[in-house]
Amino acid sequence: MGSAAALRELQRELETKANDLSKLQKDIGKNHQVRKKYTIQLGENELVLKELGLLNEGANVYKLIGPVLVKQDLAEANANVRKRIEYISAELKRLDATLQDLEEKQNSKKEAIFKVQQRIQSLQAGKAKA
Amino acid sequence: MASSKGGGMEKMSVEQLKAIKEQTDLEVNLLQDSLNNIRTATSRLESASTALHDLSLRPQGAKMLVPLTASLYVPGTLDDARKVLVDIGTGYFVEKTMDEGKDYCERKINLLKSNFDQLIEVRLELPNLKHCMSWYIGFKQLRHVVQAISRMERPIKYNYKSNRSKGMFLHPHNYTN
Repeated sequence: MGSAAALRELQRELETKANDLSKLQKDIGKNHQVRKKYTIQLGENELVLKELGLLNEGANVYKLIGPVLVKQDLAEANANVRKRIEYISAELKRLDATLQDLEEKQNSKKEAIFKVQQRIQSLQAGKAKA
Repeated sequence: MASSKGGGMEKMSVEQLKAIKEQTDLEVNLLQDSLNNIRTATSRLESASTALHDLSLRPQGAKMLVPLTASLYVPGTLDDARKVLVDIGTGYFVEKTMDEGKDYCERKINLLKSNFDQLIEVRLELPNLKHCMSWYIGFKQLRHVVQAISRMERPIKYNYKSNRSKGMFLHPHNYTN
């Protein structure tokens, strides 16, 4: 009788752990998506910076603000793009850290689930013998 | 890379291998998407380049119809075809001369082409890996089946053991139970 209650308890534990795991996996997926977006933006900004670097001093640079093109200083545009790259790189680093954290959590959850499963199995095996 | 993975594959379970295979499938799809994107981008740049070339051949003051919407055109004259505005991304436009504009298109096309070639190389390798993975998973599953049978029918184990006692399908420790 006691073993049946313990089994139910374990199964409940397994369920909550599985839910936690799927939540973690969802978070990881979200992280991947955001990171993909930022990586694309970083690449685009780097291309723009390279292009701006190829221009000579007096080149006319325009910034698209809404539907209008506004003239902008080359130096100012350069600084803007550089700042953006800095920001995106920092954001990517932050995402990396959270991803690592999430993956560690995921692995430990998986291990915990595995252990609970083993305990359930051993309990069931014991019951089958008895 | 292949050899280092080969050692690890021996120890992995079928589930792990399946996960890896799924991941490779995803990678192949992603790669295919990237290749398609590069192809469309290249064709757009090529059409931009030809449009620029076309424009540079027109004399100043040439008559033209300018599209305001997809179906509404207004008459206009070409003022100055020597300068063009180039969208270099993230909302920045740069004024360039006609030649610089053409040069820009050429450069971008070349960049895309080199990226494309790199991706093609990767893609040629991936299906190989994919194939290898499915083969290996099949092999692992077969081994499980053989082990299960050998457990069910004890006599078989002696046959196997005598025939290939050192065979990779059946290790001695599998019979202990």
